[in-house]
Amino acid sequence: MTDTQTPRIQAVRPRAATPAAPPPKASARDRGTRLLAALFLAPTVVGIVVFTVVPIAGSIVLSLFHWNVIDDPEFAGAANYREVFTDSTVLVSFRNTLVFMVLAVALQLLIALVLALAVNGRMPMWLRSVFRSAFFFPLVLSAASISVVMKYLFNQDFGVVNWLLGLVGIAPVPWLTSENAAMTAVVLVYVWQQFGFSFLLFVGGLNNIPKEIHEAASLDGATGLRKHLSVTLPLLSPTLLVASVVGIINALQVFEQPYVLTNGGPGDATRTVVMVIYESAFEQLRFGEASAVGVLLFVLIMAVTALQFRLSRRFVHYQ
Amino acid sequence: MTDAHLTRRTLLRYGAYGAGAAALAGTAASWDRLTGADIPGRDDGSLVVATLGPAYGPEAVRTLTEGFKEVHPDIKLRINAVQAVDWSDFFAKILTQIAAGTAPDLVYVATEGVQLFAERLGVALDKWVKRDADELREYFADVHPSLVESMMYEGSLYQLPVEFNAADMYLNRQVLDRAGAGFPAADWTRDDFTALLREMKRSSGSQFTPYFWTNRLWGGVVPWLFANGTNLLAESKAPGGRWLWDGFYPAAERRGRGGGFRWTTPQATDVRVEEAYDYLASLIQEDLCTRPEGGNGQNLVGVFSTGRVGVTPAGGFWAGGLHLAGMKAADYDVQYFPRWRTQRMQFGAAGYALLRTSQRQEEAWEFIKYAARRDTLMRLFETNQTTPARRSMLTADRYRETGPRHWQVFYDTLDKFPDTGPIPAPPQVAEVEQVLLKHTGTALASRRSVGPALRRMQNDLERAMEREI
Repeated sequence: MTDTQTPRIQAVRPRAATPAAPPPKASARDRGTRLLAALFLAPTVVGIVVFTVVPIAGSIVLSLFHWNVIDDPEFAGAANYREVFTDSTVLVSFRNTLVFMVLAVALQLLIALVLALAVNGRMPMWLRSVFRSAFFFPLVLSAASISVVMKYLFNQDFGVVNWLLGLVGIAPVPWLTSENAAMTAVVLVYVWQQFGFSFLLFVGGLNNIPKEIHEAASLDGATGLRKHLSVTLPLLSPTLLVASVVGIINALQVFEQPYVLTNGGPGDATRTVVMVIYESAFEQLRFGEASAVGVLLFVLIMAVTALQFRLSRRFVHYQ
Repeated sequence: MTDAHLTRRTLLRYGAYGAGAAALAGTAASWDRLTGADIPGRDDGSLVVATLGPAYGPEAVRTLTEGFKEVHPDIKLRINAVQAVDWSDFFAKILTQIAAGTAPDLVYVATEGVQLFAERLGVALDKWVKRDADELREYFADVHPSLVESMMYEGSLYQLPVEFNAADMYLNRQVLDRAGAGFPAADWTRDDFTALLREMKRSSGSQFTPYFWTNRLWGGVVPWLFANGTNLLAESKAPGGRWLWDGFYPAAERRGRGGGFRWTTPQATDVRVEEAYDYLASLIQEDLCTRPEGGNGQNLVGVFSTGRVGVTPAGGFWAGGLHLAGMKAADYDVQYFPRWRTQRMQFGAAGYALLRTSQRQEEAWEFIKYAARRDTLMRLFETNQTTPARRSMLTADRYRETGPRHWQVFYDTLDKFPDTGPIPAPPQVAEVEQVLLKHTGTALASRRSVGPALRRMQNDLERAMEREI
């Protein structure tokens, strides 16, 4: 113990020995302000409690029961979790989801970043607006309807994609019918729809980087790629963090695209965790097992997000 | 470090909060579970009938509602047309309604869900059928016993079939002409079928697929299994049902009938099952048919009507679909599924199932009878969107505008092949279907993958059938 610590301890002791001073009384105006704040917050808090906290708690409770909707729930302890851990389909779905997440998020961020840099370069304002709208547009469309259209386009025998490839002499690709190609098609469709969100974030982030820093870098002799790697990327890292956190959470919950495009096939090649939850609950009436898978997915998402924030301390630079 | 001391007033305040929360939780826990039915105004006293939305458009709903009102002005009727892409999706939505406490009184159920509903949710219609036997005699005389038997479970009848569809072969006349091939004979064989596909392929180029099929329980691999004299699950018949057969059908038609089908032991590794998969794999290798994931019903009408597909299995429902797509009666035709070891074919039927939770069972029975009446079905099935369960409704006049020329095939699939049966749909049907679709995809990747995939299918089917539903 050093000398510098002693006075701090002594300073604490007398405070602990004497009764606490009563907190200053809030004025009527302060109380009114607090009440108003509480009133404004109430709808959001109630919404979160009713639609997020209660369902999560409900899923955790339900994961401990066998329930088929028709009969009363029956307590099962950890049986659903044991079942889930020995079910090869569930395990494959977790693997698929992680593979999908890595591929989709990496591609989504890369495309969004490259396009954001391109749009942020020299170009007429109207053209910039056109590109921004065009890249964002798929995001406002329904994932299910996009997937239906894409299913036609990617059809091996009758699809436009293979017809176009055929024009340049490429043999038909079994987009939705071979294991590797099916995952590729699902990733492509997903990324095509989703990258607009990251793109908008990056455009905003790029606009927030002061021009002076780029000018200073130019004066120091940095050009092109070097300038982007040493200046743009570090300063854009907070935006990258947000985009990757949102992207990963969304990717881990992917459902519509594989459900409509491949229905999880061929075999289980594109079956994702949320598909397994849907199938277990609403097709096979195993709500307990479905909840157990949901709880595991929740834990996975929390763990991945926590890891991202931990890593962000090293890689994210705030101005 | 913060000050951990609480004033007496603060302590009392938090104590009151805690007591309030505990009281609220206790009150909530002591209440019966609230359901959608507790919402004021939700239950308006109507008889609620859930139907498959896409099959029952606004016009059909109006027909049912208004016609029923004329016969039973005292019964308030509400048709709930549930939108769903297929039967599996439809049942999932109905079960969600049941879970929410807003179960309908009647549900339109196809073969896929007959045993699931009978086992867990349905009420046997036996007592009403016996009571109103005289009224129903005309109905049973008009409906093939195979359709009725497919609606029985463990000796009891759960639905009156109003429609069915067998998997017959639709042929594009333009493609047949292009190949210089004639219309196949009724007793054509699997080899004739293969030869026809080769002829079609030879004459139609690379952008053409002779045989298009959809990987699903109805009309996918199952017709080939039936044709080869086997099934996915060992098939037998439950005892019982004499009360119905003796009461309504002549001796010749009740021979071999029982109390409904039983599908129990999985037999995916049966030699004949493997043969059927080997055959389909060979067609794929020869580029004569679509891969299982490649074919789906959504784009089938388009590719068939434009001559990019030559042959596909479909039921009577397709006559209306092709007509709407612009095909003329002479542009296509229909023939039985080709013979292999047998010419047994598969079908799916549908009717209304009465739920145990219904408080209006007598009114529901009146609706079931009304929905099976000939005049009702005549108004409902005007556009040939399905095959009516009543034989007398299939006439030359009905198919004059839409085709096909050999429309008799639809009902003769039952009359001329009395062993034609329903698709295998035990109470565990959802998981059975998922296992079938999944492993069919991997089995048909190549001819070498058939055996391993069927072994995995067998394991998964055994696991699915062991589950309690």
